[in-house]
Amino acid sequence: MKHLQFEDWILQDTELNQEHQRELQTHLKQCSQCLGLYQATTQINHLFKSAPIPEPVSDFSQRWLLRIEKTEQRKNRLILAITLAVISLATFLVLVGVGYRINSGALGFSQILLEMVTMIANWIVFFNQLNNIVAPLFRVSLKLISPVWLSTIGISISGITAAWIYALSRTRSLQKELQS
Amino acid sequence: MSNSEAQWIAEAQAGDKDAFAKLVEKYQRPVFSVCYRMLGTATAAEDAAQEAFIRAYLALDRYDPNRSFATWLLSIASNYSIDQLRKKKVTILSMDNENYSWLAPPDPGPSPEKAALEKEKQALVQEILSDLPETDRAAIILQFWHDYSYDEIAESLNLSTSAVKSRLFRARRIMAEKWQEMQMISAKPQSSTAKRITHETSPI
Repeated sequence: MKHLQFEDWILQDTELNQEHQRELQTHLKQCSQCLGLYQATTQINHLFKSAPIPEPVSDFSQRWLLRIEKTEQRKNRLILAITLAVISLATFLVLVGVGYRINSGALGFSQILLEMVTMIANWIVFFNQLNNIVAPLFRVSLKLISPVWLSTIGISISGITAAWIYALSRTRSLQKELQS
Repeated sequence: MSNSEAQWIAEAQAGDKDAFAKLVEKYQRPVFSVCYRMLGTATAAEDAAQEAFIRAYLALDRYDPNRSFATWLLSIASNYSIDQLRKKKVTILSMDNENYSWLAPPDPGPSPEKAALEKEKQALVQEILSDLPETDRAAIILQFWHDYSYDEIAESLNLSTSAVKSRLFRARRIMAEKWQEMQMISAKPQSSTAKRITHETSPI
């Protein structure tokens, strides 16, 4: 039988039948290389069995509770920061829109007020519609996507929305200019 | 899985951290042991074990109750340890450089000689494991200390069963060669323990 076969028998962890065991024992008496390998694997097994099982120090679960509290606080702070960022962005866009309106039109106070109310109403309708679309998507994606990716997607959508609003108001002002 | 364990899991899935802390209490030893064998130091093992439990808690919605909770938990711990080894290239330190206060004594009040021998054995185990590639090391640890079958190792480490078999075979060869090499270097301090192990095992 080939030498490599005996090496396989030594290194594989399946039990050998009696005949194979006899063949292996005979080979080990003649082959110092296989004997060395056999002794090494036996001694490693013995060492692994006799080595003490490492254990953590006491109050491991208490330390875990403190750690999970901190992790959740960090997560909550991140969510709060994202919410504040989105609100700030929305406020900024509203203010820019209002400022642009006041600046561009030589309108009277009552007309400006009417325009503002109309714009805020439009914004509310827009966000309501957006919420109807995004909320189910958000619930599903929370299960599937990590918070970092969600934040990235949220910021990207905000950017696209801002660009779209800007383009829309530019078009309207150009139309007004053409009409006048 | 016991009824109380199933109940703790259900409560933890509903957001009860104290219920999950009971699971942490129950499984802290095997999880810490896997992390320790993988990373080689008690400090790194403590950190990895804590993180593994946090990941398990946050992913509890995805836990399949038909699967063993211990197997699921240990697969998270071993995969996290593999990632740590790959990312940070954690150096396997000798136990002599370690602050032993992290490790509870394995036996209450062992004699100084016994304690020294156990420390040496621990260091020898880590030195033998240190030469193995991360995934092979995890496979050996799960098989040897946690009695995992080939299929369980394959499932835990996202490998095929045949890949697990060949990795374990290769790992045993590497460890045997390392052991023979260590025995040849007689000047090394751990050789005394290695020699003791050699004497303890029965001759052919």
